[in-house]
Amino acid sequence: MLNFEDVEERDGVRLSWNVWPSSRIDATRTVVPISALYTPLKQREDLPPRPIRTRHLQTAVQIDIRGKLWICPFCLSRNAFPPHYKDISNTNLPAELLPKYTTIEYTLSRPAQVPPIFLFVVDTCLDEEDLKALRDALVVSLSLIPPYALVGLITFGTMTQVHELGYAECSKSYVFRGGKEYAPKQIQDMLGLSATTRAAPRPGQPMPQQTFGAARFLLPVQQCEFQLTGILEALARDPWPVANDKRALRCTGVALSVAVGLLETTFPNTGARIMLFAGGPATEGPGMVVSNELKEPIRSHHDIERDSVKHFKRAAKFYEGLAKRASNNGHAVDLFAGCLDQVGLLEMKSLPNSTNGVIVLSDSFATSIFKQSFLRIFNKDDQDFLQMGFNATLDVQTTKELKVSGLIGHAISAGKKSACVGETEIGIGQTSAWKMNSITPRTSAAVYFEVVTPAGQALQPGSRGLIQFVTHYQHSSGQQRLRVTTIARNFAEAGSPNIASSFDQEAAAVLMARIAVFKAEIDDSPDVLRWLDRMLIRLCQKFADYRKEDPASFRLTDNFSIYPQFMFHLRRSQFLQVFNNSPDETAFYRHILNEEDVNNSLIMIQPTLMSYTFDVPPQPVLLDSVSIKPDVILLLDTFFHILIFHGETVAQWRKAGYQEQEGYENFKELLETPVADAQDLLVDRFPIPRYIVCDQGGSQARFLLSKLNPSTTHMSATMYGSAQGAGAGQAIFTDDVSLQVFMEHLKRLAVGAQTN
Amino acid sequence: TPQQHPTVPTGQLFTPGLAADQQFAMQQQPQAQYYAPQQEPQYINAPGFGQEPVYNPPSAPVNALADQFGQMGVGGQKPYQLLTTNLLTSPPDPRELSRPPPEMRLPPNSCITNSPFANADPSYQRSTLNAIPTTSSLLSKSKLPLGLVITPYRSLNEGEQPVPVVTDTVIARCRRCRTYINPYVQFIDGGNRWRCCMCNMSNEVPQLFDWDQARNQPGDRWSREELNHSVVEFVAPTEYMVRPPQPPVYVILIDVSHIAVQSGMVATATRTILENLDRIPNEDERTKIAIIAYDVALYFFSMPPGNTESTMLVVSDTDDVFLPKPTDLLVNLVEARASLEALLGRINDMFQDNHTVGSALGPALQAGFKLMAPIGGKIMVLSASLPNIGAGALKNREDPKILGTSKESGLLQAASPFYKTFAIECSRAQVSVDMFLFSAAYQDVASLACLPHYTSGQTYFYPAFNAARSEDAIKFAHEFGEVLAMPIMLEGVIRVRASKGLRMASFHGNFFVRSTDLLAMPAVPQDQSYAIEVQIEDTITAPFVVFQTAVLHTTCYGERRIRVITHALPTTSSLSELFASADQVAMATLLANKAVERSLTHKLEDSRDAVFQKMVDILGSYKSSMTAAGAGASAQLAISDNLKMLPVLVLGLLKNVGIRQSAQIPPDLRAYAQALLSSLPSQSLIPYIHPTFYSLHNMAPEAGTVSENGVVLPIPLPLTSERLERHGLFLIEDGQTIFLWIGRDAVPQLVQDTTLPVLDNPFSQRVNTIVQKIREMRRGVYYPHLYVVKEDGEPPLRLWALSCLIQDRADVLPSYQQFITQLKDKRES
Ligand SMILES: [Zn+2]
Ligand SMILES: [Zn+2]
Repeated sequence: MLNFEDVEERDGVRLSWNVWPSSRIDATRTVVPISALYTPLKQREDLPPRPIRTRHLQTAVQIDIRGKLWICPFCLSRNAFPPHYKDISNTNLPAELLPKYTTIEYTLSRPAQVPPIFLFVVDTCLDEEDLKALRDALVVSLSLIPPYALVGLITFGTMTQVHELGYAECSKSYVFRGGKEYAPKQIQDMLGLSATTRAAPRPGQPMPQQTFGAARFLLPVQQCEFQLTGILEALARDPWPVANDKRALRCTGVALSVAVGLLETTFPNTGARIMLFAGGPATEGPGMVVSNELKEPIRSHHDIERDSVKHFKRAAKFYEGLAKRASNNGHAVDLFAGCLDQVGLLEMKSLPNSTNGVIVLSDSFATSIFKQSFLRIFNKDDQDFLQMGFNATLDVQTTKELKVSGLIGHAISAGKKSACVGETEIGIGQTSAWKMNSITPRTSAAVYFEVVTPAGQALQPGSRGLIQFVTHYQHSSGQQRLRVTTIARNFAEAGSPNIASSFDQEAAAVLMARIAVFKAEIDDSPDVLRWLDRMLIRLCQKFADYRKEDPASFRLTDNFSIYPQFMFHLRRSQFLQVFNNSPDETAFYRHILNEEDVNNSLIMIQPTLMSYTFDVPPQPVLLDSVSIKPDVILLLDTFFHILIFHGETVAQWRKAGYQEQEGYENFKELLETPVADAQDLLVDRFPIPRYIVCDQGGSQARFLLSKLNPSTTHMSATMYGSAQGAGAGQAIFTDDVSLQVFMEHLKRLAVGAQTN
Repeated sequence: TPQQHPTVPTGQLFTPGLAADQQFAMQQQPQAQYYAPQQEPQYINAPGFGQEPVYNPPSAPVNALADQFGQMGVGGQKPYQLLTTNLLTSPPDPRELSRPPPEMRLPPNSCITNSPFANADPSYQRSTLNAIPTTSSLLSKSKLPLGLVITPYRSLNEGEQPVPVVTDTVIARCRRCRTYINPYVQFIDGGNRWRCCMCNMSNEVPQLFDWDQARNQPGDRWSREELNHSVVEFVAPTEYMVRPPQPPVYVILIDVSHIAVQSGMVATATRTILENLDRIPNEDERTKIAIIAYDVALYFFSMPPGNTESTMLVVSDTDDVFLPKPTDLLVNLVEARASLEALLGRINDMFQDNHTVGSALGPALQAGFKLMAPIGGKIMVLSASLPNIGAGALKNREDPKILGTSKESGLLQAASPFYKTFAIECSRAQVSVDMFLFSAAYQDVASLACLPHYTSGQTYFYPAFNAARSEDAIKFAHEFGEVLAMPIMLEGVIRVRASKGLRMASFHGNFFVRSTDLLAMPAVPQDQSYAIEVQIEDTITAPFVVFQTAVLHTTCYGERRIRVITHALPTTSSLSELFASADQVAMATLLANKAVERSLTHKLEDSRDAVFQKMVDILGSYKSSMTAAGAGASAQLAISDNLKMLPVLVLGLLKNVGIRQSAQIPPDLRAYAQALLSSLPSQSLIPYIHPTFYSLHNMAPEAGTVSENGVVLPIPLPLTSERLERHGLFLIEDGQTIFLWIGRDAVPQLVQDTTLPVLDNPFSQRVNTIVQKIREMRRGVYYPHLYVVKEDGEPPLRLWALSCLIQDRADVLPSYQQFITQLKDKRES
């Protein structure tokens, strides 16, 4: 059997099924679609960059060494080897033909015309401390951005200002009214980017470049660092007065539309990031999320459910319009929120979601969550290039038995209606290519497939199908690169055990989670939960061993065994149960889920829990209330939160200061070990998780309790008996069913028994 | 192209002057070989015109003052003596224009004091008739126009006494008609009450009227300024304030488009502001200033206190103008001095490479307005092209085909309602607008001038300005500097009250008429004139009447004040006295204002016809009533001696660019001339329609030298080219332009001596002294451009200079002789 993680390590691909049903009907019966979670820029140290792209030439081609010909398995065309492969032989194969290199990165001969662009869009309705922290972070970032990269600055508050960095005479900015929606052409005209009002230069007198065009606003860091630093350091709070019963007027929508307008005019279809730093919700103009009257609270999930939100639909539509323009032009939009309350991420989410920008939510720009997360974006690889690709297109090709149903991830359709586009639509469908305007080594896209055979006939036994992922992107060095991953899998006849044993329950859980969240964005959550339940039951019906109507006989093989548990936690997760979070938080969590690879996504779905106590090495424990004990320390990792939980006794001892006393070194060590482990977890995480240390019984402990399986609830004794033994863990005040109850129900439903 | 000389219409701009102080006196010396020795008319018994008799230093003609005393009362009212002149045989003598107006011969005891300053000085206020007819039928029979010409804030020449100020805030006013107490009231009831000279109401004398608040002791009522002076200023108590006195505010809008920068306007303007920062009124350091540059966008400059650098904020959204910042755009002149200086030194560099073409003047005005509207103040606009963006955008409507046709007057009306509605908005918010216009191409001065017109500002025009010509740069810098330095009176309103039976009927000048007779002036400028036509509503029985002009305003140093001009005139039921008391200068001023108004409401042709017909009617009335011919035929064209210059003034008016019959005058030049015609005080208006003409090569030896009375000017010549000599050197000036005319046969040395700069020889210095004197002698900011015209030189310039000689025939326009004949023919018909 394949080791899924090895494949992932090599190609950045995890498939739900690694052997594929050979007919459409079989494929439908396997419930979980054939699908892949693909990480295009998966870091791989031995990946040899290739100088030139050779069309489709890669592993699994049929090659005719003697005739110097190869046959493309996707389109079956015959192709001559390119001239530089003239010395090819069976013992001297180019890397792309070696089985070990199923993933190859090519460097294209035509470099990008424009270096990467970073356009800061900065809120100035902040208190002094916050503004200072943000200014400082931005100044630091200038030293991290490649010197050749272009930067620009837009600030906003009551109004929006575009700073002309190339202006030598004084500090200069273009001001846009906050309450007005500007058409792209207006923005272009108002920034002086069009030539209509310019006098013809006198004969022989060249038009001075600096006085018009994008060069005034977007300049290489090395050229404008001094001036930009000066502007940032002098950046003051929005000068318009704010009454006590009002929110600051904040025209986030106009600022973003100007940013989008500036870039789409000056640098269409090239790599750029618009980085929005918002200290609060938009209260003015298009994209307004809440009025500036403090008596009007910002919308909650309940308001949205009741359809009693004033601005939501209009704002969301406005930002969707911007998102579409930005994504069509290859530009990504990042959202950094520094605010205790919501900033309107829900409304704005289409921007990062369709351009694969990042979202970082923090309580203030003075927090390390913001600072570290922001600066982490500029991490470099060992060759000192940003670990960030721009303006990418992911193109998926399949051999004819497979069709593409769609993609779920931060992308938009590139509108490629190739022959491998299927009828079924999952996620962003009707295309076999997608634009992903920013791409990092973490970026993982879920791609869904269906099996299509002529007249519904099963394929010949032993047939293979191929999937090729072709990612074209702008490397931060300015090179255009092409990452090509080709995978091949066998088809198996209906009922073959090979299919079941090829199931990657982890990948499948994540791939199904993405579908569920995608549905939840559109549908009511009860419908989505019912759908998830139905799918789970059908999967179990198909792949479990059981006697009909005998729940006790129900058994799942190892590679299915924890799948229901994932589904249980997914049902309870913040991705589908939104009412404990703000709409902004929901948007944020869902965004991150759609970005990460299998392992990280699983942590989000089912957080990990480590237990630390005396004399025993730290060990993972059940995410269950039974794991709470007075004499242990728990380390919970939900991906978004990292929480250290001191059991009652541990907390008492700590408060008593035993760790400082001689003879209690082991206690001291016990306290320190989870902290060190937590630090390890933080290293690669993006965004930086919220770090919480709490004690049993403390208010912060609710973060832990909300994640635990409520095997012991305040209801346990009456409804489900006291089978688990009262007092074995901490009772959790919840009406949620426990995993155990959930499993009982599942078994009964799967085997077709009567539920009681 | 901007390199060329200003576009000169095949005619000319016109003008001529006269009237320097003491000029008349100098002219009395027997020096002229151009005139036959002339007998001084006997009725000349007052100080010379322009000598400001009441405020002259003691060296001024003491005898004249004594004489005036005499007429004011003690010796009984002298009758007016009517002298008749036959215009056909008596050619115009420009010296006549220097004479004082006919006296105001009040009945004895009209005035309660013997002060020589108790009646209005004509430089502040004059009437077309110095005896008021008792009935309207008498007035209509005479055909003479009745009106006042008021220049309440004329500037003070060196040595002149300022207007006396009543500082104790005790202001006695009539309870019924609100007239201010003045030298023509009567004290009754043992001095406890006073009777109003307008409505006869008996009023209580205020308690503190006789109390000297400065010394805190009983005061002498008879020494109170308001009982001794026709022109007096009261410090107003808080009841006269709608709000506390506001600081002076200057918002300067600078066109920085390609053409504005390339013409050198921006550099000249910013340098001028910089050099005049210390002259801007700022006694109490409250003055605020803002600079907004504009082309198709607006460029604001933020100057936070304590900074030495400014920040530029560009607002390109001209559809919907807004302020980019709530603070630091309108800054205290003292606090922001450093950044302001730095900014002014840099603006030209900032826009040196600006290639933008177009003008968002309307939006710039709106922005400036928003910035200052809570306070009020002055917007100074510098504009080098036709506004074509946003509010107030205008189209080039200059169409050569309609010039000279009946449609032409349309070009003199505002093309967009914006300029009037915005002006009214400004007026309400106490904002006044001055326009400085520079375009070489059509700029629609007519529309733009609406703003100054309704907001008590002024329009200044420098067609095809090019700072590379130093004359252009000096003229603009001088005038702009003077405007910046001008002490402005804020939040002004003017109301003119008059004795029973008299009504202010129509108002001419730069202001907005609020509630029928209140003239609203956000900023009262110096040396602007207003003309008011007066109607006689009821028969007047009083032996004399009083007009009182009150200007309520805030000084630029934050004091609320009322300037009051009281003007008493005798009444008469005699037609002869009406003619004998007529003031031809005031009359020409009123006619000029009415002509401009009529050209806008009717047609240019109607306007000219009306002026011509008025002259005909006066002559007709004079003939039938005052000459033996009566209704019969007459070989004479008779008029009273004191009106004998009126026909030539009317001819000058008809030939003025503002209303002249021509198909060649660019509408911008016409509109500008009209702006001048309707705002210049008589002292400047008369030369503007009747230029001054001097012969220099043979001027008297004293001319161009300095006597104890100042610079001696040559004797003015009649405005006819017959006076030009081929070997001669002449000077023609109209207050706006000076021409040095060099005859084709002038000796080379003469030419060389004339060519500026001043050479180190006596003749050159004398010529230069005369030029300097001409530039300084009249009140107002204008600095006439000097052109050297060679008789055989550039034809346009030559024609322009010649067009000042209004007694010549030019195209369809008659010579003086023809004109007189036309008048006579018309009179007969
Ligand atoms: Zn192919
Ligand atoms: Zn009265």
